[in-house]
Amino acid sequence: MTATSMAGGSSRRRIRRGRVVLHAFLITMSLIWIFPLAWCFFTAMRPLSDTILHGYFSWPTTLNFQNFIDGWTNANLGYYYLNTLIVAVPAVIITLILASLVAFALTRVRSRINLFLLMMFTAGNLLPPQVIIVPLYHFYLAIPIPKPLSSNGLLYDQYIGIILIHIVFQVGFCIFVLSNYMRTLPKELNEAALVDGASIFRTYRSVILPLCTPALAALGTLEFTFIYNDFFWALLLIKTGSKRPITSALNNLQGQFFTNYNILAAAALMVAIPTIIVYIALQRQFIRGLTLGSTKG
Amino acid sequence: MANQDTTRRETLSMTGLRSVSRRDVLKGMAVVAGAAAVPTILAACSSGATTAPASVAPPASVVPPASVAPASAAGVTGTVTVGSNHSDASEVKGMTAINAAFIAANPGVTVTMNPVDHNTFQNQIGAYLQGTPEDDFTWFSGYRMRFFASKGLTTAIDDVWAKVSSNFTGAFATAVTADDGKVYGIPVDYYPWAVFYRKSVFSDKGYTIPATWADFKTLCTKMQTDGLIPITFGDKDGWPAMGTFDILDLRLNGYDFHTQLLTGKQKWTDAKVTTVFQKWAEIMPFHDKTYAGLTWEKACDTLIQKKSGMFMFGLFLTGEFSSTGTPADLADLDFFPFPAMGTQYDAENALDAPIDIWMVSAKSPTLQADLDAAKAYMEFWSKGSTQLLMFQNQPGFIPTANDADSSSYDPLTKKAVQIVSQAKKITQFLDRDSRPDFAGANGMQAFLQKFLANPTQDTTALQAEIQAYWEALPPATV
Repeated sequence: MTATSMAGGSSRRRIRRGRVVLHAFLITMSLIWIFPLAWCFFTAMRPLSDTILHGYFSWPTTLNFQNFIDGWTNANLGYYYLNTLIVAVPAVIITLILASLVAFALTRVRSRINLFLLMMFTAGNLLPPQVIIVPLYHFYLAIPIPKPLSSNGLLYDQYIGIILIHIVFQVGFCIFVLSNYMRTLPKELNEAALVDGASIFRTYRSVILPLCTPALAALGTLEFTFIYNDFFWALLLIKTGSKRPITSALNNLQGQFFTNYNILAAAALMVAIPTIIVYIALQRQFIRGLTLGSTKG
Repeated sequence: MANQDTTRRETLSMTGLRSVSRRDVLKGMAVVAGAAAVPTILAACSSGATTAPASVAPPASVVPPASVAPASAAGVTGTVTVGSNHSDASEVKGMTAINAAFIAANPGVTVTMNPVDHNTFQNQIGAYLQGTPEDDFTWFSGYRMRFFASKGLTTAIDDVWAKVSSNFTGAFATAVTADDGKVYGIPVDYYPWAVFYRKSVFSDKGYTIPATWADFKTLCTKMQTDGLIPITFGDKDGWPAMGTFDILDLRLNGYDFHTQLLTGKQKWTDAKVTTVFQKWAEIMPFHDKTYAGLTWEKACDTLIQKKSGMFMFGLFLTGEFSSTGTPADLADLDFFPFPAMGTQYDAENALDAPIDIWMVSAKSPTLQADLDAAKAYMEFWSKGSTQLLMFQNQPGFIPTANDADSSSYDPLTKKAVQIVSQAKKITQFLDRDSRPDFAGANGMQAFLQKFLANPTQDTTALQAEIQAYWEALPPATV
C-alpha cells in the first residue's frame, strides 16, 4: 500500500469494506441468477453422446456449437421467428395505438362515463383467458373473414385471428398504464393546444403522444415479451403447424418419445435471444418508464 | 422538460446501464434482419417443398420428382390434405418420400401436408377434429381411436379395409375396429414393450434369460451383488410406470380383466389389483432408487453405461442407444419378454404393443371433394412398401403390413416381430386403452407414483381412491 492510501484513514477503509461486502453480495446474486443459464449453455455445447456416456454432471470431452446448428435447422427456427414477428409486431403496434387513444379520451376529455370505462377496461384484465376458450373457439369457427386477410375464410387458423385476440387481451393493461401516465401530464398543455387552435386529434398526436414515449416504449417491451412468449392462443386457435409461433417450434425438437435435450437446450437459448435484444434496444425507455414519477425535478 | 430529459439520460449513462449501446443493438438488428431476409425471399420465389429445410417445412404441395414413373394403374386425381404428427426431421423425410411415392403412383393427385409436432397434435386433437381438420390424419389405436369414432368425428373406411384386410393379422383388425363394428383406421406401425438388456453384460457375468418370476428375482439379486442396478427405471414423466403395471396385470389377471378394468367394467378395488401391487412391491427394491427424478432417457443411460442390468421399456429406446456415437452399443442391445408369473394367463403371451394408425376425419371442409383421393391415400398406407419408407427413417416403429419386406430388418426388429406374432393378445398401453383424463397426470400417473413412493403400503386406500377418481369423472366429452 502506498502512503497516500494509508493517509486516507479509517473512513476510506470503512467505505472500502462496505463496497467489498456489497460487491460480494452482488457477485453472489448474479452468479445465482446466471447459473441456470450458464448450465443450459454448457449442456448445449456438449454432444448428446458425451452426456449419455458420462452423465450431465461430468467433465466434457468435446465442446462445440453443433447442437446450435442442428437446433436451428431441425426446428426451422428462422421460419418460426418470422411467424412470431408477423403476429407480434402488428399486435404490439395496434394495441399501443388503440390503448393510447382510449387513455387519451379517458384522461384528457371530461366525461361522466370515464371512470366507468376505465374500470371496464381494467376489469377485463382480471378475466383469465382460459374461461372463454370454448365460446371463443366456436366464434372463431363461425366468423367469416374475407379472402386477403384469411386463407380459409374464417378467423380460425389465421394470423389475423391470433393478432386480434392478443390485442383484445393486452389493450386493457395498456390503457391502465397509459391513462395513469397521461394523468401526470399537466392540464395546461391541453389548454395551450386548445388556444393555439389544435383539434382534439391534433392535441393527441402532436402534444400528448410525443410526451408518452417512455411509457409507450416500456409497454412496447413488455407487450412484445408477453406476445412473444404466448403459447396458449396459438395452441387453441391455430391448427396448421407451419403457422405456429416460435415458442412452439421448440416442440418440434421433442420426438414422440425420444428427445435430444442437448439440442433442445441450444434451441431454447436461441429462442430467448429476441426478447433480450428488444430489452437492450429499449432499455433506456424501459427503465425510464419504470422510474417515472419517482423523482421530482 | 427538455432539461429533465437530458439530465436523466446522463444519469443513466453514468451508472453504466448502457454498457451495450442501444444504437449498436438497433444497428445490429438491421443487419441481421437484412441478412435473414435475403434467403427467405429467395426461398419464397421457388417452390416451398423442394427448397425448405429438411425439418418441419411449411405446408407446401409436394411436387412429384422429376422422373415420374408412368402410371401403372388407373390412379386417383384431385387433392388430399394430410395432418401429420411426424415432426422429427427424419420422420418428415419419411413422410416426404411417401407422399412423393403416392403422387408417382397417382399422377395428377396433389398432397398437402400439415406437420404438427407430436405433443401439440395430441393436446389439440379435440379442437382439431371439431374445427377444420385435414382429410387424413395420424392417430393411435385403442380407446383413443374408438372415442373419436363414437363421437362421429372420424369417417368409417370399411370399403378401404375390405380391399386391404388380407394384408394384416387378426390382432390388427381388432385394433382398428370401433365399438360400432366398423373399421376406422389403417394400422401402420407398432412397437412392443419388453425387458431390454445388453448382451455383453449378460455374457460377461454369466446371466441367463429368466423364464419365471422366481428366476427374474434371483437374477435381480445376483445383479445387485455384482454392483449393478438390476432394473433401471425413470418415472419423472409419469407414464413409464404404466408399462410395468400393464404387463403385471396382463400376466396375473389376463387380457380381459385388464381391458375391462381400464374401461370401467371392473373395479379398481378388486383383490386382483391388490395382487398386481403386491407383486410389483416384490421387485421395487431392485429398481433404480432415483427413478422419481429421472426421465426415461436418463434411466436408459445407466443401461448404456453398463451400470444397470435390465430395463422394462418400449422398443423406441433404440433412439437413445443409437445416439451414443458408437454403433456397437445398439448392436449389443437385446430383450426378452416379461417372465411368466405362473398363472393361466401366461399362455396369452400378452404384451403392450401400441399401434399407430391413419384415420379419415369427418369435418374436413374439403373431404367431400377429396374423398376418393383421401381413401386412396389410406389404401396406399396399408402397403408394406409404403410403411417401409417410414421405417427406414423411424427405426423402432415396426411396419404392420404382412407384405412388408422384413429382409432389411435388424436382428432386434426381427425379434420384436416374432414376440408380437406369438402374442395372442395385444394391448395398446394404459394411456391409450383408457380415457385420457383418467390416465393423465392427475389420474393414474399420480396414483402409480404414489404407490411407488411406498410400495409396501397397504394399497386398499389407494385402490379406493383410484376407483373414486374413475367414478367422479364427468361423462366423456371431446
